[in-house]
Amino acid sequence: MFNGLVLFGHSLADFADPATLGIIAVSSLVGIVIGALPGLTATMGVALMTTLTLKMQPNVALLVLVCTYVGAIYGGSRSAILLNIPGTPANAAACLDGFALAQQGKAGRAIGISTTGSVMGTLIGMLFLAVATPVLGEVALKFGAFEFFWLALFGVIISGNLTGDDPLKGWLVGFLGLFVAGVGQDPIHAYERFSFGNRDLAGGFQLIPALVGAFGFAEVLTVLADRQARAKIREFGSHLPRPGDVLKYWRTILRSGIIGTFIGIVPGVGEDVASWSSYAAARRASKERDQFGKGSVEGLMAAETGDNACVPGAIIPVLALAVPGSAPAAVLMAAMIIHGVQPGPLIMVNSPQFVYDVVAMMLYATLGIFVFGILLVRPLLKVLQISREIIMPIVFVLCVIGSYAIAQRLFDVWTMLGFGVVGYILRRYNYPMAPFVLGIVLGDLLDKNLRRGLVLSDGDLTPFFTRPISAVLAAVCVATILMNFAVVRRAASWAWTAAMPWRRAA
Amino acid sequence: MNGARPSATADLVWSLFWIAVGAAMFAGGFTMDRLQGQHINPYTAPGLVPALLGIGIFVLGAILLARSVRHRASTHVGGAAQASAGRLALAAALCIAYAAGLVGRGPPFWLATAAFVFVAILAFRWPELKARGELAKGTAVAAACAIGTAAAVTLVFQELFLVRLP
Repeated sequence: MFNGLVLFGHSLADFADPATLGIIAVSSLVGIVIGALPGLTATMGVALMTTLTLKMQPNVALLVLVCTYVGAIYGGSRSAILLNIPGTPANAAACLDGFALAQQGKAGRAIGISTTGSVMGTLIGMLFLAVATPVLGEVALKFGAFEFFWLALFGVIISGNLTGDDPLKGWLVGFLGLFVAGVGQDPIHAYERFSFGNRDLAGGFQLIPALVGAFGFAEVLTVLADRQARAKIREFGSHLPRPGDVLKYWRTILRSGIIGTFIGIVPGVGEDVASWSSYAAARRASKERDQFGKGSVEGLMAAETGDNACVPGAIIPVLALAVPGSAPAAVLMAAMIIHGVQPGPLIMVNSPQFVYDVVAMMLYATLGIFVFGILLVRPLLKVLQISREIIMPIVFVLCVIGSYAIAQRLFDVWTMLGFGVVGYILRRYNYPMAPFVLGIVLGDLLDKNLRRGLVLSDGDLTPFFTRPISAVLAAVCVATILMNFAVVRRAASWAWTAAMPWRRAA
Repeated sequence: MNGARPSATADLVWSLFWIAVGAAMFAGGFTMDRLQGQHINPYTAPGLVPALLGIGIFVLGAILLARSVRHRASTHVGGAAQASAGRLALAAALCIAYAAGLVGRGPPFWLATAAFVFVAILAFRWPELKARGELAKGTAVAAACAIGTAAAVTLVFQELFLVRLP
């Protein structure tokens, strides 16, 4: 514990020079602007910023990405409150009460609540990041090939189940992502799979161009294809956060922070689910639940605390297990690997300082959004009014040059284009992108560990189901799939009622 | 996603696509070299995971097929998320022409970028600018954005990040 505080202190001091503080300010601001502009998501922002930070020192590059991530999730609430359009999917719940408050002439108040909730949420998540990562890392040291196989499959199945409105489609694209990750040389024998003699394809698809395509180019196509109305901004009063809100709604903040963090830890689920879950929990527990959706301060606070708490939460499994908790965290993990940081169970053994560096990055990012949340309200209104037909072609140029810059080969630009077109078509037909991304990220882990596990057990499948952690993960995977069938849900409900007769009486 | 649920017919077509993809993946994995000549452990055969994933996609596609047939018989749920076909075609054509046709194919990167940004901004804003009688102003804005983007991107990537631009 004390050792952790010392490491955290070192990390804080390392980043506390004027140049780094300037970088924190700029990247937080970039994140807020990306989040505030509907159509630019946090995943796309982190992916594009990854390509812009390739030549930086690893710690500085990751600091930029963390600030962008936190800033984007916070910034998305601006357009949710002022335009009733969530800047990122994570801010959809904020539209309900944020926009209702804006319609009542209290847009400034709503922005203040959003700033308070986001700052508190990130701080709660950050505390869990500092405390839970070493613990989870310790547990993860007991993981073997069997457990890692199930963990990869668990991520894809849970993500497919929770991120869209049709689990079947989520699983289909998740499996497709797992397959795409296997194109090129296989990780055990370096045998070329599905490369059809193409030298570029033999190297496999690079993760960042694929993600820039699936989130960047697909979003450019989506936004340009739909005619956009010019944003109209309402008048608003004071936007300063009120300390009284923290005191009055401390239970809601704490509950939403914990829910957000834990949803962040679940692989591949992400900020939008965290936000809606926190909102729903706050509504159930609230004395003013009839105000929810009509401009409830508590509702907006819960939604904004939940999604921002999810950001550090999603980084916990990245560091401890090398399994991302959300789509932007998947890009962040790829960036860590590009910069030579190997996340996973050994991180607390090999580079414990790095874990506390990330905690410190989170704290500085929180400071960034707090300062800009107060200072730059009116300039951000001007940004919101820029036509998206001007922004999107420029974003596409960044998608192209960003994909190219990683390895300086045109094949990566074509990869970006291909994944963008496929991503656009899949989105149009309600296929969620998060399981696809998670599949691409986890494909290698699943592939290697399934085959290693089979070698260790000499083809016996029993250890996949009998080792304690494997058994739990396998049971959760199977239950998650089965609970989507109405007949199984009915049977489970009947069994639950039969086992607890007093519930039937109630 | 910003649209209605796709129709059962669309799901039906997609399910056939997934079944075909799953079958192809399984066939590809199953017929892949098992490297027996190298005496590797047969459980590490490179085609194992693609074949298993192929089975998974095939089964999920078959479930989607069954569901869409059942829904098709009972209700029509709506259409896929709608987009303006003209604007989509224009966006796709401009982006692909720039990324696959111009970049690395002859013109210098800065020129290709400036041309793309200028044409794309003007093309998408044209109806709005024309309706408001602001064509000259809109053209000037597009030109300024084009020059600014080309200069900034070239400068940052070439001079700062030392990337050899295509």
